[in-house]
Amino acid sequence: MADRAKFLAAVTASLGRTVVLVPNPDSATAGFDDGVLAKSNAEMAMADANTRSRELVDQMADAAATAGWKVHRACNPETASDLVASICEEKKASSVLRSKHEVLDQIGIESAVTSTGATLGITEHFGDNSSALVDNSKSSAFSADIGITGVDYAIAETGTIVLHPRSGLSRLISLAPPTHIAVLRHGEVLDSLDELFAMERSDFMSGKLAGSMNLISGPSKTADIEGTTVTGIHGPLEVHLIILDHG
Amino acid sequence: MKPVTINFRSKAAQTLADAQIQQSIEHVYTGFFKGRLLAAAETDNWEDLRTKGKAIKDHTIAHLDYYLGMLADSVEKNGGRVFFAADAAEARQYIIDLAHKRNIKTVIKSKSMVSEEMGLAEAMNTEGFETVETDLGEYIIQLANETPYHLIAPAVHKSRSDVAKLLDDDYKDGDRIPDATELTMMARKKLRGVFERADMSVTGVNFAVAESGSIALVTNEGNGRMSTTVPRVHVAVMGMEKIIPSIQDLSTMLRILIRSATGQRISTYVTMVNGSRKFDEEEGPEEFHLVIMDNGRQKLLEDPQMRESLNCIRCGACLNACPVYRKVGGHAYGWVYPGPIGAIVSPVMTGVKDASNLPSASSLCGACHDACPVKINIPRMLLELRWRTAEGSTDKDERTSSAKERGIWKAWRVGMMGRKRFDIGSRLANLAMRPLAKNGWLKKAPPPISGWTSTRDFPTISARSLKSKLSKRSKGGK
Repeated sequence: MADRAKFLAAVTASLGRTVVLVPNPDSATAGFDDGVLAKSNAEMAMADANTRSRELVDQMADAAATAGWKVHRACNPETASDLVASICEEKKASSVLRSKHEVLDQIGIESAVTSTGATLGITEHFGDNSSALVDNSKSSAFSADIGITGVDYAIAETGTIVLHPRSGLSRLISLAPPTHIAVLRHGEVLDSLDELFAMERSDFMSGKLAGSMNLISGPSKTADIEGTTVTGIHGPLEVHLIILDHG
Repeated sequence: MKPVTINFRSKAAQTLADAQIQQSIEHVYTGFFKGRLLAAAETDNWEDLRTKGKAIKDHTIAHLDYYLGMLADSVEKNGGRVFFAADAAEARQYIIDLAHKRNIKTVIKSKSMVSEEMGLAEAMNTEGFETVETDLGEYIIQLANETPYHLIAPAVHKSRSDVAKLLDDDYKDGDRIPDATELTMMARKKLRGVFERADMSVTGVNFAVAESGSIALVTNEGNGRMSTTVPRVHVAVMGMEKIIPSIQDLSTMLRILIRSATGQRISTYVTMVNGSRKFDEEEGPEEFHLVIMDNGRQKLLEDPQMRESLNCIRCGACLNACPVYRKVGGHAYGWVYPGPIGAIVSPVMTGVKDASNLPSASSLCGACHDACPVKINIPRMLLELRWRTAEGSTDKDERTSSAKERGIWKAWRVGMMGRKRFDIGSRLANLAMRPLAKNGWLKKAPPPISGWTSTRDFPTISARSLKSKLSKRSKGGK
């Protein structure tokens, strides 16, 4: 603590002051509302996601394609299920991992994957984080061929899916396997990053902020060798977004 | 990293003579510079976003003590540990001690310019930890035992055959040069094993959110996600200026950072970390440490003329826009931060004396100011530093001009300040030049004028001033 006090006192002195000046509410930053505004912004964002769902889903499909997702539209759960099965076949997948997202059960993921001869696993420790369990699920994620998740939100502005890692939603299944499939429903698409962070702030103000959040927009890529864009340096080489339009 | 800013001229000359590097760094213009222009053009409110970004940073830096305190409280509330480091050595020692205490074997590093200030990877390897850079560009640079060439494209100066030699021991000159995809897949394979066994990670911080204690990491490759997922200990390192008040300020900052850096609307991954993993999470680090480093930033903060440089969000746009950087390359600048931003922060952070050539490495064209997402007026600060090194400072370590140089310019000023003095001075200069001139041009001259005549001719100063010529003409003469 001594280090901290010394460090901060020096910063105060560098600013030409002797005491820490509490900033006046500043229009430059959103950090000054007491949570009421954040809450109403968040409610508006969710209402918007529902009332404008059709339009936002179409925008999302376009932006996602630009970001490098292979976008598929499925008019019913059976079509979505067939799409998953055909990707498993195309990739000759033998090991597939899924998250606990409800939408995956809705499209019958179990039979879609197992019908192709692949195994379907789920990472869920129920809070038991003994190192053997964690190591085991780590190596299964690193050796899996495909990871399948739903989305917590999506962002139409940027073609992004948002995941809050939690019980039943491993961080690795959307990262380690060479192929990632995300399944998206209407009502899950937010207009822009502003709405997402308004919801995050509302969660923070009410003490519900998750441990981490991942925004994913397309396949892993690099242009570090002669400026040539190559996909799949550390994360997935190929990412599929299946949009479930009804059901 | 030990600054070698004193070598600017020799290093620049070396790069100018290297045809391969000249070709390789062209990408910062054709790729990044043009990409940023396109991205800005397709963003309706681009100028408003820049104005807002600048306002957020101005506000935060003006209350940096308040927000740093808030950030530390928030991180601790989330269960993380905060270490304030006065300089690079303290920060490095904290991380090394932590690694020893936790019996760490393998450390993965995600791109961080602050860790370059510490020379961290090298120091940790020396301490016996297997320490591997995981950003592809940084990995290449580590294998080559060099320093980054660019803020976001560390290996932009390397050709495919250079990379092939580094990644593949069997590769020889004359072999078929692998394409970028083949080389990238070679690196993927090598780094996968490292990710799987890593037990500690060190990442940078793109933005630290004071209110919630979150850090945001922006990557395209996914190494940032691997680093915040697999190892049991995560250490994030940041310069003390990399802070914003609220999560809601992030949308503006991400929009301007990413468009300015690569021209993308968003990077493939934006990872928000709010401390170590929650109890019901499937994986993630058991410990989270945030190292907040000063290392000379207070000198920028306390200097009203230079404070604005702390608004920098390290996008690299000023490098890509700079006609000097695009020729002399990243290593000439001699420290962690190259290009126009390096030319203003390195002299203050590492000492003006050795770095006095840096502020002069600019044509003052203003392209860096136009490109900056937070509108930092870099040319103004370049001029300020030039003035200090020439005559503005009384500190001998800052005023690097020689007494002779100052004497010459003083005489010049005196000579320019009266009609008669000016006419006599011109006359004398003409007489002095005449024996060396040919048809009104000086092709060769003794020092210090040889600095000019070695690359171009110098016109002989006329014996008669324009005024006397004109007055003669108006009287009917010639």
